[in-house]
Amino acid sequence: MLRVVKPKNARSKRAMEAREPKEVEDARTAIFVKGTHTGEVVTKVMKELMSLKRPDAISFSKKNPVRPFEDASSLEFWAAKNDASFFIVGQSTKKRPNGMTFVRTFDGKVLDMCEVGVDKFVSMTEFKTPKAAPGHKPLMHFASELFDTHPRFIQLKSMLMDLFNGEVLEQIHLAGLEHVISVTLGPTPPSLNVATADADSTKDLPPVHIRAYTTRLLASGVRIPRVELTPMGPSLDLTLRRHQAADPEMWKLAMKRPKLRKQDVEKGLGKKRKNLAVDEMGDLRGRVHVAKQDLSRLQTRKMKGLKKGFGEEEGDESAGEEEGEEDANPKRKRVKSG
Amino acid sequence: MDVSDILASQAAKHKSVTVEKDIPLEVDTGFLTVTDLNPIDKESYECAHTVIHSLDTPNPKVPVKTSKNTFSPPRATACKSSSPPSSRSQPNPHPTAPIAQLPTPTTLLPRQKPLPKPKPPTKWEQFARAKGISHKKKDKKEWDEEKQDWVNRWGWGGKNKQVEAQWLTEVPANADIEHDPSKEARDARRTRVAKNEKQHMQNLARAQGPGDRHTPKQENERTLATTRISTASMGKFDKKLEGEKKLRGMKRKFDPAETSVESEKKSNLALLGKLDGESKRPRKAGGGDDTLNVRKAVRFASKGQGGVSLARKAGGASGGQKGRGKR
Repeated sequence: MLRVVKPKNARSKRAMEAREPKEVEDARTAIFVKGTHTGEVVTKVMKELMSLKRPDAISFSKKNPVRPFEDASSLEFWAAKNDASFFIVGQSTKKRPNGMTFVRTFDGKVLDMCEVGVDKFVSMTEFKTPKAAPGHKPLMHFASELFDTHPRFIQLKSMLMDLFNGEVLEQIHLAGLEHVISVTLGPTPPSLNVATADADSTKDLPPVHIRAYTTRLLASGVRIPRVELTPMGPSLDLTLRRHQAADPEMWKLAMKRPKLRKQDVEKGLGKKRKNLAVDEMGDLRGRVHVAKQDLSRLQTRKMKGLKKGFGEEEGDESAGEEEGEEDANPKRKRVKSG
Repeated sequence: MDVSDILASQAAKHKSVTVEKDIPLEVDTGFLTVTDLNPIDKESYECAHTVIHSLDTPNPKVPVKTSKNTFSPPRATACKSSSPPSSRSQPNPHPTAPIAQLPTPTTLLPRQKPLPKPKPPTKWEQFARAKGISHKKKDKKEWDEEKQDWVNRWGWGGKNKQVEAQWLTEVPANADIEHDPSKEARDARRTRVAKNEKQHMQNLARAQGPGDRHTPKQENERTLATTRISTASMGKFDKKLEGEKKLRGMKRKFDPAETSVESEKKSNLALLGKLDGESKRPRKAGGGDDTLNVRKAVRFASKGQGGVSLARKAGGASGGQKGRGKR
């Protein structure tokens, strides 16, 4: 393992503090590792996936004798050294041609792994279309019911989301949303519809198609624009191979969420915000509920005629003018009545 | 005037932005992700696969996610999140496009690192909580009336160094002749820094917990016990003071009678290795024969007087008589 070093100056101290665990984490840094033999296709695929993942990507361009499913110690070492938590290991062998392994780590230890084989690959350069700027957040789209039911595809979806979209953002600049990564499966074979489908066998699993598109917003006559997609590349057809599910204990630790702070709850992160709505003009409107008011004790304009017991004492003896006089001298009034 | 025709022609120009699905899409706006759980249609899939770039249909249509949960045309391929209320009140670096507020994601993804451990509270924080004092964070900058500018509260050109740095300071009438106001201010500041540092260290020590540290009393007792057995007789013939307690030393510890074969083997081998090593060790000069330790024998025979006196004694039978004869 790496030595525990004490920072010697403020700069290295800040750098070490940036690596400490955070409540809300940054995007995962991915390391693209070449195995002992990668082959042309996998090299290209990794290069283009890296261009989608930038700037949170590190390339290991030299060959590395690394076999994630047999010994993950070097991956764990790299994870600690580079503060990375995602690996894409490319390896092409006779038994498993054009293979890529996605490895996710938690706390410097391997969490889960998923190996895929690249069946078909169309590069970005073959699409003569505009490309998305690096560093922009992609929109993601998953199509198939297996992403909800089959453990292999649930894992794949979780991994791909973690790779491209795992960062929690509070707000986003809408002009920066310019590309879509679409993950579609082939039609579900009937054997997978049975509830007793075996998670380990990769025999009947449908192929995975990963496509990337740029978006064009067109006028639609309403507030929401119509979105047209232009293929941007890369296009990948993958098949699932070996995998390693997460250790349940470790998974439980990795899924722990921070407790919501009081101000977050008040801000509306923890619960539903009530009585707030955005109107058609985009203004925030609030509804305020006021309890029924007690109008009986309302203080209105003070007038003699409204005084308590006025009518009983005076009767209809006094006219308007006399009232004015009497107001000025209330003592006399009492004498009169007495 | 009938405008319905104009409206209809206008509407025909625009394609629709809604999409109909058997199962409504699952949208996670926080992660900008949509999941379409409708099963993939086999026919349209195979049809799309015959096209050059497998699934890249020439004009894939996009469902648009809106606040009203409407989606644009079928063969879903993407999602567009424009639903959350775009904020107009907040400062926007690019005034051309709105900024969307994203809700917290609904999909749970594993963390990269464990949750940060809460820091142990400092003594002041404990006190403040007990008293209900709310923390007020001081600004790093402070307003300077003279300069009419914001200056650092501490650090470079800090306001806390103002008195010691100013060129003129009022001196009280009864001041000492060696009174140096700038030095005084500087010393006061230094003391405050030192005090804060000390408190910081104490907080760190407290945060570490009692652990293995000894109290001064324990340390004293330990030193006393060491000195009591540090005489030639290991304290056996020392004078006892009145009321002195008996020394309570370490209890003897025995190895367990039953150990694992491995550890037993290991300890025995270590013992044997030690024996073996002793025979290999070069004997000290004068050791001589293995069976007889000559030095020890000489010492024994001469009753501790040494070899020379023994020789003198041996030859001394005649010499001694000589001596006697002299007398």
